[in-house]
Amino acid sequence: MDLCNNRLPTPVSRRDLLRTMACGFGYLAFSGIAHTAWADDVVADPLAPKSPHFPARAKRVIFLCMAGGPSHVDTFDYKPKLITDDGKAFGKGLRAGAKLLASPWKFRQSGKSGLWISDLFPEVAKHADDLCLLRGMKTDVPAHAQATTKLHTGSFQFVRPSMGAWSLYGLGTSNKNLPGFVTIDPPSQNGGAQNYGSSFLPAIYQGVPVNLANAKKQRGGASGADAIENINNDRFGEKAQREQLDLVQRLNKEHMKQAKEDPQTKQSLDGVIESYELAFRMQAEVPDLIDFSQESKATLEMYGIGTGNDKFARQCLLARRFAEAGVRFIEVSHGGWDTHRNLRDDLTKQCGEVDRPIAALLGDLKKRGMLKDTLVVWGGEFGRTPYAQNGDGRDHNNKGFTTWMAGAGVKGGFSYGSTDDYGIESVDGIVDIHDWHATMLHLLGLDHEKLTYRHAGRDFRLTDVKGNVRKDILA
Amino acid sequence: MRSDRPNHNPLTLPSRRLSLLVRVSAASLVLATVLAGAGADDDAMTGMQSEAVIESRPLTQQEQQFFESKIRPVLVANCYSCHSAQSSKLRANLLLDTRDGLLRGGDLGAAVVPGDLDASLLIKALRYDDEDLQMPPKAKLSEAVIRDFEQWVTMGAPDPRVDVVGTIDGGGPAIASYSMDIEKGRRFWAFRAPLKPETPKVSDSAWPLREVDRFTLASMEARSVRPVADAERGAWLRRVTFDLTGLPPTPEAIAVFDKDRSAKAYETVVDRLLASPAYGERWGRHWLDVARYAESSGKESNVLYPHAWRYRDYVINAFATDKPFDEFVREQIAGDLLPASDPTDRAENLIATGYLAIGPKSHSAQNARQFAVDVVDEQIDSMSQGILAVTIACARCHDHKFDPIPQKDYYAIAGIFASSTTAFGTERGPGNRHTAPLIELPADARITNGPSMPTQRRSIIATAADRLKQESERTAEAAKVARESGEGLNQINLAKVRNLRDQSSLLGTILERFDEEGHPTAMNRVAMGVAESKRMVDAPVLTRGEIDKAGERVPRGFVQVLMSDEAPAITEGSGRRELAAWLTSRENPLTARVWMNRVWLHLFAKGIVPTPDNFGMSGLPPTDQRLLDWLAVRFMEEGWSTKAMLRELTLSHTYRLAAVGDAKNQEADPENLTLWRFPTRRLEAEAIRDSMLAVAGTLQLTPPVGSPTNFGEGSMRGGDQRLLSLLTTNEPVRSVYLPIVREELPQSLEVFDFAEPSFVVGDRAETNVATQALYLMNSPEVMATADAFADRLLAMKGSEADRIVRAFELSFGRRPTGAEVAASREFMKEFAKDLVAEKGSAPSSKGSAANENRPGQRLRERMKDRANRGDASPSVAAPSNERAAWSAFCQAMFASGEFRMLN
Repeated sequence: MDLCNNRLPTPVSRRDLLRTMACGFGYLAFSGIAHTAWADDVVADPLAPKSPHFPARAKRVIFLCMAGGPSHVDTFDYKPKLITDDGKAFGKGLRAGAKLLASPWKFRQSGKSGLWISDLFPEVAKHADDLCLLRGMKTDVPAHAQATTKLHTGSFQFVRPSMGAWSLYGLGTSNKNLPGFVTIDPPSQNGGAQNYGSSFLPAIYQGVPVNLANAKKQRGGASGADAIENINNDRFGEKAQREQLDLVQRLNKEHMKQAKEDPQTKQSLDGVIESYELAFRMQAEVPDLIDFSQESKATLEMYGIGTGNDKFARQCLLARRFAEAGVRFIEVSHGGWDTHRNLRDDLTKQCGEVDRPIAALLGDLKKRGMLKDTLVVWGGEFGRTPYAQNGDGRDHNNKGFTTWMAGAGVKGGFSYGSTDDYGIESVDGIVDIHDWHATMLHLLGLDHEKLTYRHAGRDFRLTDVKGNVRKDILA
Repeated sequence: MRSDRPNHNPLTLPSRRLSLLVRVSAASLVLATVLAGAGADDDAMTGMQSEAVIESRPLTQQEQQFFESKIRPVLVANCYSCHSAQSSKLRANLLLDTRDGLLRGGDLGAAVVPGDLDASLLIKALRYDDEDLQMPPKAKLSEAVIRDFEQWVTMGAPDPRVDVVGTIDGGGPAIASYSMDIEKGRRFWAFRAPLKPETPKVSDSAWPLREVDRFTLASMEARSVRPVADAERGAWLRRVTFDLTGLPPTPEAIAVFDKDRSAKAYETVVDRLLASPAYGERWGRHWLDVARYAESSGKESNVLYPHAWRYRDYVINAFATDKPFDEFVREQIAGDLLPASDPTDRAENLIATGYLAIGPKSHSAQNARQFAVDVVDEQIDSMSQGILAVTIACARCHDHKFDPIPQKDYYAIAGIFASSTTAFGTERGPGNRHTAPLIELPADARITNGPSMPTQRRSIIATAADRLKQESERTAEAAKVARESGEGLNQINLAKVRNLRDQSSLLGTILERFDEEGHPTAMNRVAMGVAESKRMVDAPVLTRGEIDKAGERVPRGFVQVLMSDEAPAITEGSGRRELAAWLTSRENPLTARVWMNRVWLHLFAKGIVPTPDNFGMSGLPPTDQRLLDWLAVRFMEEGWSTKAMLRELTLSHTYRLAAVGDAKNQEADPENLTLWRFPTRRLEAEAIRDSMLAVAGTLQLTPPVGSPTNFGEGSMRGGDQRLLSLLTTNEPVRSVYLPIVREELPQSLEVFDFAEPSFVVGDRAETNVATQALYLMNSPEVMATADAFADRLLAMKGSEADRIVRAFELSFGRRPTGAEVAASREFMKEFAKDLVAEKGSAPSSKGSAANENRPGQRLRERMKDRANRGDASPSVAAPSNERAAWSAFCQAMFASGEFRMLN
């Protein structure tokens, strides 16, 4: 696995030790048994890597989800007319009397491409030439719950599989020691588990929540304890647990003998046996992944770990580590973007928390040669109004907002689509959520019209009956 | 909501065809059906008078050709611009683009009376005889064309354009005419009523034990496969005990069966199991999968449904008492409209309608109309997939893509539910914009008031309610002061006041249900369900399913393609009673088949129709239709008794076969479609959890009263997670009684492919994945159960070997082999050593492994201390280490493949 090449070599990792131990009486001991007359009947592993529909630009996705709806007109959608018309009444319908509010932050051009980015993202702006801004986004409903489930599943009316589940279903995963779809500290509201659920897709494709916030901090990092449900055994040490597992596997082997010429029982038992070995390897791998002690001081500093509120910084570093380890779809959540008031203070705080870690993530991936096949996606469920709410705040805006993509297969230093003069409504290069999903799948080498699953009598898609790949943004 | 309506037996309701046709002779239809022995069979129609059956008779090729070449082109060219769904302005309310439109006519009456030229206004108009009625208005058509029309009417006006025309709703027709061939659709196997096939002849007449065996054996013989040998008696006992009760056989039951060598031994077991309460819990749960049972709304807000458990208990009881399945279905659709023998029966009927109320809902939806149509859609979807295995909801936005179900049919059924009110019983609060009452249960019914709330919990809630109330008053006062002092309307404060008031009122609702001692009050005698609306409405067709694109209204009715025979007319009320009667009519082609297919798959791993929730054209065809039809008809003959059919099936030879391979058979029938062997299955989540508790001796078999969700109200999202954890406790009750909050499933069930409660789930997944392994290896609840199992073994008199034997008997229903005993003993020795050497520990006295600090860590440190003091005698640690080793051994039994496999 080429993905592991960049990992710092360690003399004898805990994981390697366990792997060796497992050979004593573990997985390998059974590999011979499976190859009997019935070996052909073994069902394909649903997580085995699958070929994409066409050559993929992205091998994996890191989605940085800004929950609450980040303001586009203060960050990535530069609106000079909003500045000149600051304070003017913007009077229509219910909003009659609302006043346009110029962004309190300066915008400046960054990189060779000269993309306009506000001073809220000074670090990210340094990566302007890698960013592909989608400034013509729109979604259906200006309400958090609906827009959030729409963003993740393509539907706000029905319970549907999340985009991570679809990706995993379409492509499988390469690291057998880890889940193929992880979501780091997912929020419990606005759809909760539905946003990383598998709905009617087999349960194996659902996102595994990693609760970094729960993981006990130690050694400048965190232990893997409690980060994934039941990943940790509070009672037995590794050796004792291996002993116990060996008994389980020995009983399985005995049972297999009794089952004689029974392909079906053998098949199920194979599945059971493998599930324990994978679980055992996960137990070893996950704490290692969550343990940042192997990261250099420079890396930790680059992300901003150890200074101030470093929660998001840790999440981003973990995302990189998961990406490196071969996880297919990684989501990182950051809440608090619902700036109805105190825009100046709150947005400063919000962006302050994410700017450096995001920049570090982009730089880190690039340095490791991974940005070329990792799609980094940034965005929230909708944007915000250019007119003021509560004097110093902005209301929800589903008609126009900005998300961006970076890395694998997208044009860098590129801006696609636009809103009107004030940023109220997308008018050009419109990307709705179905288009957004279709494009993401396309970058993963998947045709959104062919990636289907039969349920309740018909073939379902992430993009329902809609969605157009925005080819203009493809590099 | 009690009904004083005179009660009819729903099966003897006056019936007529749904479409509003003249002179349809119901009697002749029935007669012909009986004579031909088929509902939708073409042959059944041939002997009938043409006057009686114009509308449902398939056209001959000649007639079809005549219509298509001579009639339709003329209608399209000369009439449709003013008389069709496409007309920009419809004239005289007359639609000529459908057969029903022609027959029903417009303002002047029927345009065509088949076979009667003089009574047909269309002919009159074409002839230009009447000055006031001349069509087309511009010029008279040629004599040849008029003659064609005359000939056509004389022929009986054969018209392939099947469609039901609704009343025109104000703005004129909004949808295009429907041209799907429903007649052809009726010939599809699943849409024809099942006929009892003859029992097939088999060459090995000694093999069948039951009639059903003749069907399976005939298929085997046709494919030249031979059934394998019978399973060992012990394996059969374990199989049938799990299948009928969801529990492992006790060692006592094993011993009794082992001794009973009489001819009736198998029957004795089956009858005992069917009579046990555990049967209702097991099979009730199968239906709850189909009924997408849950105790909260799911979706964005996940609002709690604190009274849903009454429906759960109703279902369990219905199975335990073997309520005839047709009655069971009728009660769930229209229990409120059915006769009741006494108040308790009445209460049960009302609770049954909870089926329609417990579906997932978007309580945060802003648009009330959208919410209402989505509720109806969910009801149609669950009912049609669950009971009929047809995906009617696919026709919400357009005609069904695969099945002959026009969009109109969807709205015909939608009108039935739109004319009913859904009592889902939630109150306004954070995340919930939609409220509904609950159904009051008769005061004199012998039913429980519900569970008792721990008094401490009640006082916490009371305090919180007071605090919220005060806070809302304070905030309201502050807002008032601010307003009066001219600071203007403070929207934030007002929203906050409303929020606090709502929350306080939600808590108040809980408090009303439980008195000071925590006992449930009469206020808790309520149920979710449905009732008749005050106003009956026909639903308008919504173009693309969009609520602001309402078109013509469709009269309430059912799915045409499934009505090859008598359909009960909707004469009064919402139509739910008629819907219930139609669903359970002997002529309904699907209900009995679909349920029998579900029963079959729970015993034999795969349905005869492998897509149990979709019998439509996009589903898979039955592997043996004769068998399915025989089961369906036999089931109805047996009075829709599920127990009778389970008895037949579990006593069959097919069910008694061993789960073993056979190379020759494998080649001839690799998928085991003929059931030449018993299929190996993985146990369901509930059976795995219940087995662990049963084996450990901690399973509490007495059903709990109600559900912990009865102690809550409001949205489960973003709120107090402590509240959620209180409502979702994992008591050692049978799994079917664990609270099922959508998106918050008990972990023990979720990891083992529990049915996703937002969907109709006829067939659960059977995975063996790492998250299950992690759960069994590391979950504190599994370890606690293993501790209890260890204690049970340790409390036994006897040697280590005796205990190991007992552990195998309890866990797998069999004695261990020599190799297994040896492996177990070796483990005991080695593991205990590891514990001492490494860092293992004895479980704490309560068996809890969820302590913040690792007990192992602490023990090891203690031992180190002791070692430093020089008194580290192994014998000191022995008792607790012994228990730890036994517990680890017991956990290994739970974790083994055999524990979760049924073969």
